[in-house]
Amino acid sequence: MTTPAVEFRDVTKRFSGVVANDGVSMSVEAGSVHALLGENGAGKTTLMNVLYGLYEPDEGTIHVRGDPRSFDAPRDAIDAGVGMIHQHFMLVDDMTVVENVTLGNEPGRWPLLDGIADHAGALATRAGIHVGAGPLGRRVAAVAERAAPAVDGDSARESVVELGERYGFDVDPDAVVEDVSVGVRQRVEILKALYRGADILVLDEPTAVLTPQEVEDLFSVLEELTARGKTVIFITHKLGEAMTAADAITVLRGGRNVGTVPAEATTREELAELMVGREVLLDVDRRPATPGEVVLEVADLAVTDDRGVRAVDGVSFDARGGEIFGIAGVDGNGQAELVEAITGLRTPESGRIRVDGREVTDESRRDRIDAGMAYVPADRQERGLVMAFDLVGNGVLGGQHGAPFARGGRMDWERAGDHARAVLAAYDVRPPDPTATAASLSGGNQQKFVVGRELERDPSLLVAAHPTRGVDVGSIEFIHDRLLSLRDEQVCTLLVSSKLEEVRTLSDRLAVINEGEFVDTVDPDAVTEEQLGLLLAGERPDNVSSTAAVTATRTGGDGNR
Amino acid sequence: MSVRDRARRALQRLVEASATERALISLASLAASILVGAGIVLVAGRTATCEEAAFVLATPRPFGVPELASAGFCYDPVAVFDRLFLGALGDPASPGWDPLNGRMATTLRETAVLVFTGLSVALAFRAGVFNIGTQGQLVVGALATAVAVLWAATFVAGVVGTVVLVPFGVLVGAAFGGLYGAIPGALKAYADANEVVTTIMLNFIASGVALYLVRSVFKDPASPANQTIPLPDHALFPPLLFAPQFGVSILALLFGLLAAGGVFVLLRRTVFGYDLRASGLQPAAAEYGGVDARRTVVASMTLSGALGGIGGAVYVLMVLGKFQTDVPAYGFDGITVAILAGNNPLGVALAAFLFGVLKSGTTVVQFATDVPPQLVGVLRGLIILFVAMPEFFRLLGRRVLPRNRAGGDAVAADGGSEPDGTDSRRGEEP
Amino acid sequence: MIDAPRATVARLVGGRRGTIAGATVAVLVALGALGLLFPASPAGILARAVFAAGTVASALRLSVPIALAALGGIFAEKSGVINIGLEGLLIVAAFAAVYAMDVTDSLVVAFLAGVLASTLLAGLFAVVCIEFRADQIIAGLAVWLIALGLAPFASQVIYEAPNTDSVRTVPTVPELVGSLPSAGDLPVRTDPPTLGVGVLDAVLAVVVGLLGRVVLFVAEVLLASSLSVYLMVLAVVLSWYVLYRTRFGRWVHASGENPKALDTAGVRVDRVRYAAVLLSGVLSGLGGAALSLGLGQFTGNGATMVNGKGFIAIVAYLFGNYNPVGAFLSTLLFAGLQAVQNPLQLADIGVPDPLIRITPFVMVVVVLALVGRTRLPDAAGEHYESGEE
Repeated sequence: MTTPAVEFRDVTKRFSGVVANDGVSMSVEAGSVHALLGENGAGKTTLMNVLYGLYEPDEGTIHVRGDPRSFDAPRDAIDAGVGMIHQHFMLVDDMTVVENVTLGNEPGRWPLLDGIADHAGALATRAGIHVGAGPLGRRVAAVAERAAPAVDGDSARESVVELGERYGFDVDPDAVVEDVSVGVRQRVEILKALYRGADILVLDEPTAVLTPQEVEDLFSVLEELTARGKTVIFITHKLGEAMTAADAITVLRGGRNVGTVPAEATTREELAELMVGREVLLDVDRRPATPGEVVLEVADLAVTDDRGVRAVDGVSFDARGGEIFGIAGVDGNGQAELVEAITGLRTPESGRIRVDGREVTDESRRDRIDAGMAYVPADRQERGLVMAFDLVGNGVLGGQHGAPFARGGRMDWERAGDHARAVLAAYDVRPPDPTATAASLSGGNQQKFVVGRELERDPSLLVAAHPTRGVDVGSIEFIHDRLLSLRDEQVCTLLVSSKLEEVRTLSDRLAVINEGEFVDTVDPDAVTEEQLGLLLAGERPDNVSSTAAVTATRTGGDGNR
Repeated sequence: MSVRDRARRALQRLVEASATERALISLASLAASILVGAGIVLVAGRTATCEEAAFVLATPRPFGVPELASAGFCYDPVAVFDRLFLGALGDPASPGWDPLNGRMATTLRETAVLVFTGLSVALAFRAGVFNIGTQGQLVVGALATAVAVLWAATFVAGVVGTVVLVPFGVLVGAAFGGLYGAIPGALKAYADANEVVTTIMLNFIASGVALYLVRSVFKDPASPANQTIPLPDHALFPPLLFAPQFGVSILALLFGLLAAGGVFVLLRRTVFGYDLRASGLQPAAAEYGGVDARRTVVASMTLSGALGGIGGAVYVLMVLGKFQTDVPAYGFDGITVAILAGNNPLGVALAAFLFGVLKSGTTVVQFATDVPPQLVGVLRGLIILFVAMPEFFRLLGRRVLPRNRAGGDAVAADGGSEPDGTDSRRGEEP
Repeated sequence: MIDAPRATVARLVGGRRGTIAGATVAVLVALGALGLLFPASPAGILARAVFAAGTVASALRLSVPIALAALGGIFAEKSGVINIGLEGLLIVAAFAAVYAMDVTDSLVVAFLAGVLASTLLAGLFAVVCIEFRADQIIAGLAVWLIALGLAPFASQVIYEAPNTDSVRTVPTVPELVGSLPSAGDLPVRTDPPTLGVGVLDAVLAVVVGLLGRVVLFVAEVLLASSLSVYLMVLAVVLSWYVLYRTRFGRWVHASGENPKALDTAGVRVDRVRYAAVLLSGVLSGLGGAALSLGLGQFTGNGATMVNGKGFIAIVAYLFGNYNPVGAFLSTLLFAGLQAVQNPLQLADIGVPDPLIRITPFVMVVVVLALVGRTRLPDAAGEHYESGEE
């Protein structure tokens, strides 16, 4: 048996008492693709950050190519040939690909001096003296190169181009990073690691931001890398990807290694059970919808993003009271901008938005709140909560301008306090202390509080963006139930989520968005996974049951799955 | 996350740190500044020339060992700070102390103006706007008050005159200061122009225009100085308890305290205050909550400018009785006051008094020890610097009190579970 | 490889910045044309004032402290530390330089003293911001206020007045060398050689006349300029080279845009930031020294002799989009506005003095209102802690 590229032995890592990794042992064969599979919070990223020197393990050791190593900083890991491609790319957006790849290791050059040195060197050679050929000369040359202040741009470009060609990367070395697609950026990150001599590459959730086509491209890149002897570890929570791309799969659950299996000898069911520890079937008790009047009308909406690029392009749909209208899509396809335009946080370029038959396109955010629009924003820490306010203050956010929390310009803090306590109790927010600041709550509890505040607003229209992001399983079920009961109370819900399962199970109709356009609107119960995959990539399969037109009451029977 | 949001997050750390910690940091900053100030006085004392040393530092001479070194200093830092604090209150420890003495009057006079400039800076700060322009707003308010009251004083006289003219002057000051504050507010809200730079520029513009106007339009022909015609006594704040030549009025001081209370209630109890605080801390969240960010910026800058303008009115109607170019740097002192108070309106009243002591104390110091009064300018900056780095005192605290968990450990990432990584930000807060 | 100058030009030309730059050029050209056509009109007088060698020379002289501080500001801010205390750095440098000159009577020592004082203060600012995580804006403001108190305080201690005694000023090249003609001594025009062929002579006369004028104009400006102006031009060129052509320049850029990218690439972000802030101290120190030594005195009344130049420098580099050359050009614009005032007042079409003095400040507000949001480096103003996840 060959020496494993990386071996973890009983690695334990705790954060202020919480165990993130609990005696994890695993070994990764050199030249293979190894998937690290687990649910959110299973400790995957922590384990890899330990390998990368970002965290020091509390117990256990790591062996790289058989040698025990301990890394104090990423630099040490890089020196040992470990490269990490983070979920958030570590790129300087307004630099070129070459500049990014070589950052920190730029080939150096002495301005002016180089020309003179070359000249002198040539003269010396002609005179029969070989400068810089001996060991001393080479060392002097190396030191001079390291200390050289100027960047040797040509040599930098050359080595990046050469690297790209060797691994078959299709990357324009002179492109500015902010102008290239997410898939290309990811390849730039991989190039960066390779340029620094990495032969063990760790990728953290590499597919989260990619389209299906880009995912395929990535997998072929990974194949190319292992074919040339590199070792790849990638973190994922998607079963399918692990099975497609990996040679071996290690499943983490609750910080423990619950099993390593070869990819070809396992099944989805086995992996799912390992991941969750019980049979996973999202079981939602959904009665058939009884759609009423049209509540939200969006017509021909076009919205630009912060950079002035059109993010939503000609989107039209109607959503009715008593139904959940879902929008599925890979993150970054215009969902965020669409939601912001509807909720009044972003002015659309053209098109109309009506709520309850009233034109609200030009109305302010406050007017829309007053008109009965509730909104669970995607980013609770940036938008949904004032982090430094206590929960009493946050409980009135959005409702501070009128009854029942304010009268005649004065705040009624007593009533606000009662409200906050009610939400804390109903949505099981911990700790149930209304005087605690929002910042002191964990992410999941913050989310529950925001969801609770918005759902208790008694809205006629609810816009929910990723309502269960970062929330534990039990609370997810609770929030799903609440969404469905609101639906049954004839509330119109617009649901946006990057969790495909979530939008599929909850929605009555499902629109698929790609590059700012609705590819199609389908019946979520009738559409197959393959069809949905194609739609997400922007292609329209032939035999999809499109439900673009608002249908009458959908016949039941398929509600429970 | 935009740069602005990040900057605000930093402000948030300053504004919303726990009250006790904030008070401790302010006190520690004051102490540290005074310590550094003493060092500066010592160094300056070596440089200055004087007849005989006021203060001698010598190495100790145990058991008759000859003295190794000694250095004479022209200024005695202990005496300096003794004068600075006790002198500013008219030596409260000495027998026969009259609380209505002249030094005390100067201190309270400075306090009365500083309350308003401090409130002006603090209010804008709470709205997330850094108003460095209080100085300019004060100048504009002061000139407008002087000119308007001079004009109106011809119509009324006597006690009735005072009752009418003083509120009128204050209103004029507030209006003009408010308008002048609204300019950078509108520029920030609608043209995205950085308020720090625009307000500083507007300070220079205000004093330039005031100089021009006083010189060529409103000049007192009877005086060689650049000043307006003095206002009649009945148009000024009545001195009440203090002797009139001290230029201080208990009424103005009470008015200042009232204003501090008013701003406190405004921030805590009103919808406008809620909106203002929310957009100051986290504009994106405020916008989500239906707050019109632009209107809030303009409104808070107008209000902030109005407070600065009232400061100017008080300066004219209480201290000077006319407008004179070369207005003292009350606006910049206001920044120190606000920062020292952690931008809490009630704290501003206290900080204004502390800084009033410093200001009036420096003049006493100059009389007693020859140390130039510019020292207070240095202290002004030092205090801001120290308050700006709470981390310094936390580190100090950790050194002095090890194992005390000062500052607390950052909660590390939650196992990287977040698909969007937002939660990891929690780790940033120390 | 991205061609930095070309990219900068492209960025400068696009958007409102381009509009303003274009408008400035257009106004100058129109003014020149009007002046040539109607020399007696107010436009003619204005044109003569604007295009006089003396005006250009004094615009350059007025630019020195602003441009040098702006260069310093670029380094600091590009690295992610917004240094709003440039004004304070100029103030301490201006005082320290005059004091050192007074004591040693050496130009070199005086400049070094200015640089030392400014760099020390910048070092304090760096420690406060980087080590103790202070809010950069507030700390920068404190630096300004400290300097605003400290320099007049020191002057009062040493000279018993807020203004110092007078010292020797920075010489011009002719003053230094002694053998060159000084600015006023150049001939007004050059006589072309005659060939004896009428048509050719006429053409030659025009060509030589025009070229000669340009050469004489440039020579006049150069001869009238003090060494500080040469120093400034050198600093602009060097700064450009360092920022766009060296490793350090790359690191400064990355440290401001995405410090984490730099950190994970194995470069210490805090060191880069320290270096950049100290560099802003060095450059501002040169600027402050050049300012006070140019006049031979430090005046410490009110806003001191620096009087807002550090803040104008900030706007200059924002307007110049963090490019040293751009910052220099926008500085020239502000300084030029001030420089035309003297000849205008001599020509008696002046505005009252206090109003003239505020024109640069008004200009700054107008520019900011028009340009609006400038794209700051992504991580500017934000503390960075290595190893944070």
